[in-house]
Amino acid sequence: MEPNREEEQRRQEAATQKVEFDPSEIEYVSYGGEHHLPLIMNLVDQELSEPYSIFTYRYFVYLWPNLSFMAFHKGKCVGTVVCKMGEHRTTFRGYIAMLVVLKPYRGRGIATELVTRSIKVMMESGCEEVTLEAEVTNKGALALYGRLGFIRAKRLFRYYLNGVDAFRLKLLFPCPEIHPALSMIAESDESHRHHDQIA
Amino acid sequence: MDQSGAEEVGMHCHPPVHSPIPSGENSVWADVSSLLEAACQELQDGDLIHGDNFNLFAAMSALEIMDPKMDSGIVCKYYSVDEAVENGVAPVPISSDKTIDVQCTIDIMDHLLACEATWHNGHSLAQTVFSCIYLLRPDRTSSHAILHSYCRVIRATCKAVVSVVSDARTHEEEDLFTMTYGLPLHGDGDEKCLSMLNAVEEMIYRQLRAYIEPLQLNLDLEEGFCNALLCRIRFRKHFFHVLTCMRRPQGRGLELARKHIASCMSELECILKSAEFLRFGAFGTCDDGVEDRTTASGRAPIGFDASLNSRSSAPTPPRAIKFLSWEKAIKYFLKLLHDLDIVCSYSLDPMLEGVLRFVVQFQKSKPDLVARAHLQLLLVQDGKLYGRDPIFAVITKAAALPEVTKNHDIQKNEYIVQLGQLVMNMLKILCTNAAWQRRKLGKILQDWRVIYVQLELAFRNECGSVSSISDDENICVKIFKHILNWVEEQTYWIASRYLMLGFELDLYSPSEYCMVYWYMYVVLIKLAEKTHLRMAVSSGTAKKKGKKKKDSSKELAKESRIPLPVLFLQCHLCLAEGLSMMLAALRNELMVLQSPSPFNTERERFNQHFELLQKACVPDNISYLSFKESTAYTRFSTLVMYNYFKNAQRIAKEIKSSFSDDPDRLAEVRRLEQVAEHNGVALNVICRVGALDPSLKVSFEFTHHPYFATAVVKRS
Repeated sequence: MEPNREEEQRRQEAATQKVEFDPSEIEYVSYGGEHHLPLIMNLVDQELSEPYSIFTYRYFVYLWPNLSFMAFHKGKCVGTVVCKMGEHRTTFRGYIAMLVVLKPYRGRGIATELVTRSIKVMMESGCEEVTLEAEVTNKGALALYGRLGFIRAKRLFRYYLNGVDAFRLKLLFPCPEIHPALSMIAESDESHRHHDQIA
Repeated sequence: MDQSGAEEVGMHCHPPVHSPIPSGENSVWADVSSLLEAACQELQDGDLIHGDNFNLFAAMSALEIMDPKMDSGIVCKYYSVDEAVENGVAPVPISSDKTIDVQCTIDIMDHLLACEATWHNGHSLAQTVFSCIYLLRPDRTSSHAILHSYCRVIRATCKAVVSVVSDARTHEEEDLFTMTYGLPLHGDGDEKCLSMLNAVEEMIYRQLRAYIEPLQLNLDLEEGFCNALLCRIRFRKHFFHVLTCMRRPQGRGLELARKHIASCMSELECILKSAEFLRFGAFGTCDDGVEDRTTASGRAPIGFDASLNSRSSAPTPPRAIKFLSWEKAIKYFLKLLHDLDIVCSYSLDPMLEGVLRFVVQFQKSKPDLVARAHLQLLLVQDGKLYGRDPIFAVITKAAALPEVTKNHDIQKNEYIVQLGQLVMNMLKILCTNAAWQRRKLGKILQDWRVIYVQLELAFRNECGSVSSISDDENICVKIFKHILNWVEEQTYWIASRYLMLGFELDLYSPSEYCMVYWYMYVVLIKLAEKTHLRMAVSSGTAKKKGKKKKDSSKELAKESRIPLPVLFLQCHLCLAEGLSMMLAALRNELMVLQSPSPFNTERERFNQHFELLQKACVPDNISYLSFKESTAYTRFSTLVMYNYFKNAQRIAKEIKSSFSDDPDRLAEVRRLEQVAEHNGVALNVICRVGALDPSLKVSFEFTHHPYFATAVVKRS
């Protein structure tokens, strides 16, 4: 059993050691089909606490392939984002379901780039807001989304199966300008307009 | 897969022979094997049959059979409880050796305590307490008096706790707690558990005193074992009493409950002390992993298997859960008993203001679900406060109306009835966990706003049209006016609590503090205004009464001053205003705490954070623009002139002595004073050197107060 243990140790070290790379070496790819699915599943299974069935993955990537992105470094898939969008009550809303970057590749803006690409597509598709849940202990994710303009809208008590609370994070897009000449009116009437939308 | 093909295959199917669920009117059982076979041939790798009803919830609920992370039907060891029992997993007696039998009984008791605490902390009953096979088969233990009575009291206790939590319905997010499907929560004769426990206690006590045949054969250990059993049994007895006493109507059992709580706590101390004997005295061994052990002895208990229930009953995620250790379980119960004791020692204040203050103070110690449920059931019983005071009487008292109005016919007005329901609902919400509470408070703001508008309309209709106002109508006008002011006051109180809970839940980031304190300030101004109005009117009534008294000059002098509760609020609002202005100046002059973001602006974040307040117009005419107007030009030079922190400090000093008999509020005033003092100093430092020294770093910490930040100034 000894060699196995050594191998395991080596693997663990490799999994946490920082990798030196230039950000330009990272290639971002939109979801391209069934051959990408195992790559996404592997990443998420490795890094996130909740277990997802293959149906969950297919639900997302088949319905919204344009919202799923992957990051490759020298042919290796090192990060992914999986999302959806649709009607929620009276709003059209985007939802970020999973965001994963392998540990050695973290802290270099890969996650920000992945999620930014998804959010842009959501905005262009007419979403009014974007939401997601994150563990209250996940400082890295909270800081990342904070920089992108998300607020912590709610706290969800013992949301995850591991008993940890979650924050519901929300990003509200600005209302599109009606007409430059009307912008002053829109400005003064801002809160009112907002009500109509969410009522 | 096209629809016609599916139907075709379906039509040729024969119903299965033995179907446990009968076919309904619109459904019939069919064998789908051939359909699936056909489907398999048509589907390519990765294809998905996507029905209209296949939404995210369905996708997330789908299981992969035989995946141990998901498939709760997977057989771990035994198919059923009976099979486990047949294989000797939970023998009765536990051992033929009486000494071992006693040791094992104690281990079972200890592990059950750990299970119970783990259940209270958010796991399912099926996976915790009812992982005990002895509990699942109530009749099997009847020959073992100690184990039998202990199992009975555990079942009865679980039932009582489930009942208090489901009656209170404060557990919206904690619904796993009350799920008991398929569990034998009630064994025949469990209601007699106390008399059985008493008999067993008596028996052990006599064994200890050597009046009768000893419990087991090793006489050196007899005393230790007897004592270990006695404190465990006595704890269960008193704890069951606590639960039943606290459920008596109108808080009549609270005094007795406190006695049982005190007994529970002292028995828990004895249980803790027995650990030394059980670990060393009995065996002379010491196990590793003392931290995680779920029994005093450190041994694994006999007769538990959490995987059995996942096949047969209530929801049990197919994952092993981490049990609280035995020591943590005891600590949990001590905290629970402490919280219950606070509930029991409550004076049943007839003034709503006092009730609200008590509940808010109680919540500060973060009591668990069980304690919160008990408090809620005490406060709201049969639609009355404490099951005793009719809600209209509570409202008239809160609105500073004279005693006689509590029987006025106006209480039959439909909006007044609705208002009563809102008050009850608010009390219930205040007893829920902070996360849920904040969400619900945000939502009910709109209800309070709507009832205000409706009451105002009703007031105009009933009182406005009459030209000559008789005495009776006069009182009607008075009631409406008082109640309207009070409804507003209460609405602002809810809004301020909503904003403050955001700090407790860590919902605000430092770049948002400025707008949050600003909003808090505008809400507190309104709250102070309404409170002042109510108190001025009520002291006005008192003055009329007191006119005949001789020594009214002192009274008058007192009345001319601002009332204490208003000063208390003013102290808060000075701090909120001071903090928001300081933060604004920091942004305007030092360019810190700004947070440009690629997708939206501060305006969107403002609208999101205060969406529910804005929707309810709390307060009126407040928008992002008013926030911008009052903060965009703030400079340190003007801040020094206004001296918000000095004002807060002065008020705090002034009112401190008045709270000498109220330790909670005295402590609060002291905290406010500290925040004011520190921030005053920080502001001075920034003003003196801030603009000149770009290396100055200002951060905000909650060292003195949970939601009023203290500025920390450092040179980097």
